[in-house]
Amino acid sequence: MNSVIEGKNVKVFGKAIIALSRIGDELWLDPMVKGLALRSVNSAHSAYGGFLFSPLFFQQYSLGSVLKQGSEVIKCKLLIKSVLPLFRSLTSIERSVERCHISVSTATDRVIIQFFCRHGIIKTHNIHFQESEALQAVFASHLCPNVLKAPGRLFADMVMHFPLFQEEITLSITAMKVSLRNNQDGGKGHMKTMYTEMSLHPDEFDYFQIGLDSDITFCLKELRGILSFAESQSLSVSVYLDAAGKPVCFSVEDGVLEATVLLATLMDSESNDRSPAEPLSPTTLRCENSSAQPVDVFEEPSSMHHNIPDEMIASSQASTIISSPKRMRLRPQIMGRTCLGVASKECTSSSTKVCSLLFKALSSEQDDGGHAARLPVLACYSDEENPDDNHPRSSSL
Amino acid sequence: MPLSTESQSEDEQYVLIANLDNARNLSNILKAITCKDHAIFTATANGLKVTVEDCKCMQANAFIQADIFQEFTLKEDSVVFQINLTVLLDCLNIFGGSSVGGSTALRMCYRGYGHPLTLFLEEGGVVTVCKINTHEPEEPIDFEFSSSNVTNKVILQSESLKEAFSELDMTSEVLQITMSPNQPYFRLSTFGNSGNAHYDYSKDSDMMELFQCNTTQTNRYKMSLLKPSTKALAISCKVSVRTDSRGVLSLQYLVRNDDGQICFVEYFCCPDEEVEEE
Repeated sequence: MNSVIEGKNVKVFGKAIIALSRIGDELWLDPMVKGLALRSVNSAHSAYGGFLFSPLFFQQYSLGSVLKQGSEVIKCKLLIKSVLPLFRSLTSIERSVERCHISVSTATDRVIIQFFCRHGIIKTHNIHFQESEALQAVFASHLCPNVLKAPGRLFADMVMHFPLFQEEITLSITAMKVSLRNNQDGGKGHMKTMYTEMSLHPDEFDYFQIGLDSDITFCLKELRGILSFAESQSLSVSVYLDAAGKPVCFSVEDGVLEATVLLATLMDSESNDRSPAEPLSPTTLRCENSSAQPVDVFEEPSSMHHNIPDEMIASSQASTIISSPKRMRLRPQIMGRTCLGVASKECTSSSTKVCSLLFKALSSEQDDGGHAARLPVLACYSDEENPDDNHPRSSSL
Repeated sequence: MPLSTESQSEDEQYVLIANLDNARNLSNILKAITCKDHAIFTATANGLKVTVEDCKCMQANAFIQADIFQEFTLKEDSVVFQINLTVLLDCLNIFGGSSVGGSTALRMCYRGYGHPLTLFLEEGGVVTVCKINTHEPEEPIDFEFSSSNVTNKVILQSESLKEAFSELDMTSEVLQITMSPNQPYFRLSTFGNSGNAHYDYSKDSDMMELFQCNTTQTNRYKMSLLKPSTKALAISCKVSVRTDSRGVLSLQYLVRNDDGQICFVEYFCCPDEEVEEE
């Protein structure tokens, strides 16, 4: 893969890496025909971020090596801490970098990032990479009952009121208002924490669609990256949310790039006996391809807990509201058509299991249908090499 | 200036008297070579030279010419002593070091071998007297670096190097410097945990004021020894980089002080190991 980024887009690229550094420690690089994807996931697998830069973002963008015929496009991952220092000082990049070449060299197992700067200065960084299967999350945002859209500035202003150490916040949405509050550790006593709540009228949003009253609690830290990105680029943020327990999606786009952050939400945000250490904890994952049996952390839902949508506000997006509990049981279809992969969970009022995004392998072999007990998963990744890289996937990010 | 609290006769006891209206003209340049606690002060008719050494293979020198001082009186040909540089800097900045309240005036006096260095510092009518013990000076290393033995020399505007030095991968144990009449002309390289990095400066760059490279040379220097030179780089406007046939590195920084006067800081560093010329 060879690409050239020119001028001010280098800074945008750098901002994307900074945003992803808020999520995880590793950066997956996936050069595709439709563009270059940068992705990251946190260690708890409860937050995923992805940026897709279309070929239009680049001055030049080409895949593959001209030397080898039929050579594979290398998908790899890097340590974010190897790449982040290169883009840390955005002001000096803006001031001195004229263009940036990014290429992947299979011969030396390095990603080469070269900055061509003013005054005839060239900075070359050869960074170790590890070949890896692509990291990808599948999320059918068009099936979400609730959608918000507003300029990044609005969201940044909303989260600004919460201290940087605030881990989780709760977003509540009804037809009358959208509110954001910090998630209290009820057991610890109200005296010890500062409680912040802010509410917005639906009119504040450029787009407001409510299909389902819901309260979702998610980690704020991993969200800040994309909100800073959206605000600095003056882009709007779209939020796709569903009931508690289902992931929430924040997405940003302009003509040449798309960015998405998926966050797991707490299953039962009303519960007060949740200890801080417990939720958003890593679930044990097994590669689908591996011989080990997948560890099913969540049981098949026996009874579904599903709020009937109170009202729908007509929107230009024809979003269907599916009220059937069977939606939860859809198995992901790896190949082909739209799929909704949602990690299901046990819905008892006393339990406070957290819905995590489960990642598993992108497999070329279609799993045999006998895996009925296998849970639907949201997003997949695997460290194992996969000869078949290009899966037609819709709603992929 | 109310620093002359002593009588004329007392002054005669001092072998060295140096006065500065603005102590920052001394403290700023001393900060640029502070990497070790102790420094060797050598005063000659030319002025003051302050030397700091590390590991017997790196030496930093700050030169403050006599004409920088408002008064520079020397009763002997040369006066040498060793002193704790950190303590000296603390004293020079005793009034806080901020430029808002006006500058600190300095009168530095030394009676000779065995006596402490006496500093009279004044700001806004307040006078402080500091006496700092001096020690037997160690012999500074003579790197035997002579201009006639220089193989490669470049002079760069500091601006371009400042960015490179601030971005250097500190997980690299060495800083490799390549100088060549051919590509890549002047290259700084690091070899860190995540990979290697190269900073290339073209000989035609407008940051390159002088480019005299006759042979291709690649030398490695311990990063820990060279990193302190970043402080000198930060206050300089130009830097000359020279290597001799042994690979010994000489970095000379041209520093302008608050009053626009020129001082020099020089770093010498021995190469880490033999590297095959490319």
